Amino acid sequence: MKNFQYKIKEEEGLHARPAGLLVKCAQGVSSAVTIACHGKQADAKRLFSVMGLAVRQGDVIDVAVSGKSEDADARTMEDFCRKNL
Amino acid sequence: MNLFGKKKIKILAPVDGRAVPIAETPDKVFSEKVLGDGVTMLPENGEIVAPVAGTVATIANTRHAVCIEGDEGAEVLIHLGIDTVKLGGKGFTCLVKAGEHVRAGQKLMDMDLDFIRGRGYNTASPCILTNPNQVKKLTFRTGDAEAGKTAVMEYEK
Repeated sequence: MKNFQYKIKEEEGLHARPAGLLVKCAQGVSSAVTIACHGKQADAKRLFSVMGLAVRQGDVIDVAVSGKSEDADARTMEDFCRKNL
Repeated sequence: MNLFGKKKIKILAPVDGRAVPIAETPDKVFSEKVLGDGVTMLPENGEIVAPVAGTVATIANTRHAVCIEGDEGAEVLIHLGIDTVKLGGKGFTCLVKAGEHVRAGQKLMDMDLDFIRGRGYNTASPCILTNPNQVKKLTFRTGDAEAGKTAVMEYEK
């Protein structure tokens, strides 16, 4: 499993639009991706799960990527976060 | 076993108004179906009701979006207006709490259409099935719709 942490800069937090883009990115990788924040965990491939975390600007999310191509997939997820969130 | 074929599940209009194809929504994140598939409501009034029976999964901090986890598996997001997150909650009165079970057609929210339009926002409200890949034979019905009565989407379980 590969982990990374990311502090949300997006003004609106992980609300519908950024959450949707994040989920699309996570659905595009073969690894399982989970996000933890505020002591709760979410499946990054499910919009409802991600929106349920109610992540706000300034919150730090812990992203865990696990699977056969976890190294590349973790990089994909991290690049996405830096560019979009 | 259901001898009469698969069960059809209805997703009802969340508000009185006209349902248009989601592809016509003036915001790419909806029209390109990033969040899922559905219809966009052009509301006639501000009474927002539950499109399915289920549990209120999340209500946005700014109350402009509500997610219902349907008893029959549909995960439905109602996004009230375009870019309305920027209103910071103004113009919306929420009548339910996260975790609460609601009936299909039960009132969820009051949306002040005049206020929202007056602040320059479009009140077009996408009603989206966020897990369309988990259902079969999803169909849409556009045109005039009555809140809590007209099925704007239908699928097989």
